[in-house]
Amino acid sequence: MRAVYLANYFVAGCIASSLLGWVASLHPTSFRAIAFLAAAAFVVWGLCWLLDFSVSGWLKISVSNLQALLLATLAAAIIGGGIFLCS
Amino acid sequence: MLLKMFVLSSSALILWLAPLVGLDKRIGWHKSIQGLSLGAAIACAVSAGNIARRLAEENEIETIKTRAITADVVDEIAVSAYVSQQQRQQEAEAILNPVEHLERALALTYDEGERLEPIAQNQLAEPEQNGSENGESERTERIHQLQAKGWGKAKIILEIWGVSKGGSPKYKAAEAEYKRLVEGDVV
Repeated sequence: MRAVYLANYFVAGCIASSLLGWVASLHPTSFRAIAFLAAAAFVVWGLCWLLDFSVSGWLKISVSNLQALLLATLAAAIIGGGIFLCS
Repeated sequence: MLLKMFVLSSSALILWLAPLVGLDKRIGWHKSIQGLSLGAAIACAVSAGNIARRLAEENEIETIKTRAITADVVDEIAVSAYVSQQQRQQEAEAILNPVEHLERALALTYDEGERLEPIAQNQLAEPEQNGSENGESERTERIHQLQAKGWGKAKIILEIWGVSKGGSPKYKAAEAEYKRLVEGDVV
């Protein structure tokens, strides 16, 4: 059951990234806003990788769990964005 | 709950993929439908995730409960097995001890020679005598108890000797013993 709920949240992440892609496709301004948001998120993602011990202590989770979370976030963003772009 | 979760999960997937694949992004209302369905899909996926998480927590609690119950049962069985083993051991010791004493007494007697043989015989005979005396005194005591309750002779004989009233030799013997015990007690 634990795997099911994790899979559901992962799917929710994929759909959210597709929705962001859809918002970006509405208008050039929204595209720029989403691009900025995506760049900022990527920077934060990279910082989280670099400062994994500090961030895991701040979030009160283990380092391995944080790394799994970061990888899942990246995978969800790629899958969601990819599905939106390919459709 | 489980069915609801699966329905929500599958509808999230359908609402995510079907409009993106089936509808045209260049048409205005198609695009709106895509946006709406993506929003609904996120809601469905998050709801399904919450339900699944709740179920997972309940399952964990059930597992812990089952583990605790199993541990209790195992502990109870172990304790009862230990207690019964102890009881058996005590009973066996209680049974074996008189024989051991007797054997030791006999061995000592044989070691000391013929001079002490009568002592050993006395040692063997004494418990029998004591046993019969004890039996008689117990019967007498029981007779008194039953008489105090207001029981009659026939009923007492039936209770103590297990013989019903009649002309049978067993009953006569029991009656004679009863009389002897009662009269002996009076004298």
